[in-house]
Amino acid sequence: MDRVYIVGIDEVPKRLNLAEREHLRLTFIVMPGVSAEVPFEIKIGKPGVHLEIFGLYLSPRNEQVRFDFTVRHLVGGAHSSQQFRGIVGGTARAEFDGLVYVAPDAQKTEAFQENHAILLSEGAVAESRPQLEIYADDVKCSHGATSGYLNPEELFYLRSRGIPEAEARRMQMISFITPVISHLPEELKEQILSRL
Amino acid sequence: MENLLEIIDLHAGIEGKEILHGINLTVRPGEIHAVMGPNGAGKSTLSAVLAGRPDYIVTGGSITFAGKDLLAMSPEERSWAGIFLSFQYPIEIPGVSITNFMKAAVNARRKARGEQELAPAQFLKLLKEKMALVGMKGEFAKREVNVGFSGGEKKRGEVFQMAMLDPLFSILDETDSGLDVDALKIVADGVNALRSPEKSTVIITHYKHLLELITPDVVHVLKDGRIIATGGMDLADRIENDGFEGING
Amino acid sequence: MTDEKDILAAAVEKEYSEGFVTDIEQEFVPKGLNEEIIRLISAKKQEPAWLLDFRLEAFRKWKAMDPPEWGHLSRLPKLDFQDIIYYAAPKKDKDRPKEIDPALQETFDKLGIPISEREVLAGVKSKVAVDAVFDSVSVNTTFRKTLAEKGIIFCSFSEAVKEHPDLVRKYLATVVPIGDNFYAALNSAVFSDGSFCYIPKGVKCPMDLSSYFRINASGTGQFERTLIIADEGASVSYMEGCTAPMRDENQLHAAVVEIIVEKDADVRYSTVQNWYPGDSQGRGGILNLVTKRGLCRGEGSHLSWTQVETGSAITWKYPSSILMGDNSSSEFYSVALTNNYQQADTGTKMVHIGKNTKSRIVSKGISAGHSENSYRGLVRMNPGASHARNYSQCDSLLIGDKCGAHTFPVIRNANPTAIVEHEATTSRISEDQLFYCTQRGISPEDAVGLIVGGYAREVLSRLPMEFAVEAQKLLSVNLEGSIG
Repeated sequence: MDRVYIVGIDEVPKRLNLAEREHLRLTFIVMPGVSAEVPFEIKIGKPGVHLEIFGLYLSPRNEQVRFDFTVRHLVGGAHSSQQFRGIVGGTARAEFDGLVYVAPDAQKTEAFQENHAILLSEGAVAESRPQLEIYADDVKCSHGATSGYLNPEELFYLRSRGIPEAEARRMQMISFITPVISHLPEELKEQILSRL
Repeated sequence: MENLLEIIDLHAGIEGKEILHGINLTVRPGEIHAVMGPNGAGKSTLSAVLAGRPDYIVTGGSITFAGKDLLAMSPEERSWAGIFLSFQYPIEIPGVSITNFMKAAVNARRKARGEQELAPAQFLKLLKEKMALVGMKGEFAKREVNVGFSGGEKKRGEVFQMAMLDPLFSILDETDSGLDVDALKIVADGVNALRSPEKSTVIITHYKHLLELITPDVVHVLKDGRIIATGGMDLADRIENDGFEGING
Repeated sequence: MTDEKDILAAAVEKEYSEGFVTDIEQEFVPKGLNEEIIRLISAKKQEPAWLLDFRLEAFRKWKAMDPPEWGHLSRLPKLDFQDIIYYAAPKKDKDRPKEIDPALQETFDKLGIPISEREVLAGVKSKVAVDAVFDSVSVNTTFRKTLAEKGIIFCSFSEAVKEHPDLVRKYLATVVPIGDNFYAALNSAVFSDGSFCYIPKGVKCPMDLSSYFRINASGTGQFERTLIIADEGASVSYMEGCTAPMRDENQLHAAVVEIIVEKDADVRYSTVQNWYPGDSQGRGGILNLVTKRGLCRGEGSHLSWTQVETGSAITWKYPSSILMGDNSSSEFYSVALTNNYQQADTGTKMVHIGKNTKSRIVSKGISAGHSENSYRGLVRMNPGASHARNYSQCDSLLIGDKCGAHTFPVIRNANPTAIVEHEATTSRISEDQLFYCTQRGISPEDAVGLIVGGYAREVLSRLPMEFAVEAQKLLSVNLEGSIG
């Protein structure tokens, strides 16, 4: 199953329980101009589940965005991954709260979580609270979070090839968000890229 | 002469599945045996059972090593008794240097045998001597056990450890796999240098190459959990030419 | 497969060899906490009025505060602060007040702590100046004279109050304010002894300084206060160690450490924490609830924290750095090992205020038995922290399936030229690793020690040599019986 939620337009569920061996891909998109709180909790109570979550937030002006995601592995042998990427500018503020919980005896769990943010301006704030709470030993769990800016050397490289600065920046942003949108339908991808 | 290793009707497997269906094998001091066989024949199971890997379960038969019941011994007791397994896939131990690893191993064995720990100077001398045997430079001793090693380095590392621990009975589990000609030569030279009338070796391999460099006294063919043929180097030649399909028990 | 589990269990159970009690006559203040007790402690220490006022103000603040509940500490007992003795000191021999009581000398000898200069000068111990604190008082500080020749002040906190009141007054509570948090406020009200060091401008401290804290008396808590000041261009390496007797009761240790690092100064602060951890059923043990913070005030200043936490029933501590000066930098290297029913909630805060400030966090948690081990951290890039950088790596190692390992970082970036990177992983000792070691003849217990030591090496290698050896031993000892 593949579901895409455009926050502010689509109705976003607050929680999901997954059936056995369910393969699910969820994508959450926050477009420019949208301020939102996105609380979401998913419980994996059946084995064999394969869950992929992607999140994108584009907050260039004064948006306030907050993701509050919890993935609970209550049984073993399931896989979950979360990847969030966002670009924050103006005086916008983006927060990511992510908890991966692995219950006692939920052995052979694989759970991964990442949040990467790019700040474009003074006044923008990105906050990340990726959390792991793990009670089983035979698991593969990791999380990562970064916050940074568009690489100036990369920008210089593009400009030295004759690409104007604005266009070069846009290319950098496209390359930054590609990992969380590459699986989306062309039409939606176009729509997202046109907002950069 | 008394047998060093005697396996009688060994049945063993893992996770409830029997893989070895009645192995018989006798190795005398000073002998080199080769065990050849296709993938899934049970070669690695045999080496794991000999070294006492905890997840392998013996369901029947016996193994006597130097007159003792090997199956009653823990992996470290087997090591102290002189069994060495060169792992097909040597394990990484991050943060632990080769030096510290070997110091722990050498001294644990000395302690088990009621001997004094080696003085640091003696230990370092031994370390250098054995490193030279497999063509390892000084830096090698500081590296973390198997971490970031190339395939060849891992196998040379195993032969180096074998030299350090001076075992009575060595099992080379596919030590030749993934090695180029030069690395194979270094490994073979190392093993040959350690040969003696008291010490025995079992070489587990798919191919004949290593056996051309370390000549075995006996060659066995292991297939579907049974030894289906035993002979000399001519048996290895036949396998090289005709494959395992042509060998029947 | 019982074997793996039994092996791991057997490898973690071990005697706490520092768990003895020294039989010595001690004087106490009455149990409980009120203004009278605080006045009594202050009077015993013959303190100036300003310090008594400081204590009373802290006490008033503390009364209005509630104990923090946000840590991942399900077993933190409800403490009755009226049931604690806040001051205990060995009685001085009236005829020879300057001499060290032989019983204390013997105690520190047994712990391997050189409290007289003789053993060091004889070359038995490496050259370290020691301030030894026994319950509420400092017993002796070695090499004071040698250090004084370079202008370095290293003495007990009480002596510093008497001999260098201006310095103490200038810096006390400037990094950890009186009302910073519940336990810091408690400490500010009742603190007894601790260490004071001041390294003057341009001086490189010629030897390592160290404090050793020993809890002995039953029913007491220890509330030490440490203040370290490195003036412009100065450098010092400071180490602290601690132990306590084995008892069924919990004892509270609530310390405050403040460090001020001026321009181009360098402070390396190392801790090997070996408080009594409680027994295998989780009875007793020290509640180690401490506040440690450094202020990198000057440009180019540097503060490095290294901690090895193996003891205490509960550890709640976050040695932190405030990177105020431009180009200042800090590191936090930590190994926290919990076994049986121990709980640790520890980590750091790196607050970047100045430009080009750098920080690095390397945390290695090891959980065994039924223990809980959490990393909690904050990395904050303030709007002015242009081109600041942080890198954090938090790894957890689980030994057995009854323990927990958690990672709770907070990353807040408000500067578009700052970069923050955080990574965390969990792992365990694989059966393959154990088998590989045992095949080489290394016993399972030693194999676990070896593997854990390797896992923690990046942190251990940052400790001063003698400490590193000690820490490595502690890791193995405290893991005994964990395999299982």
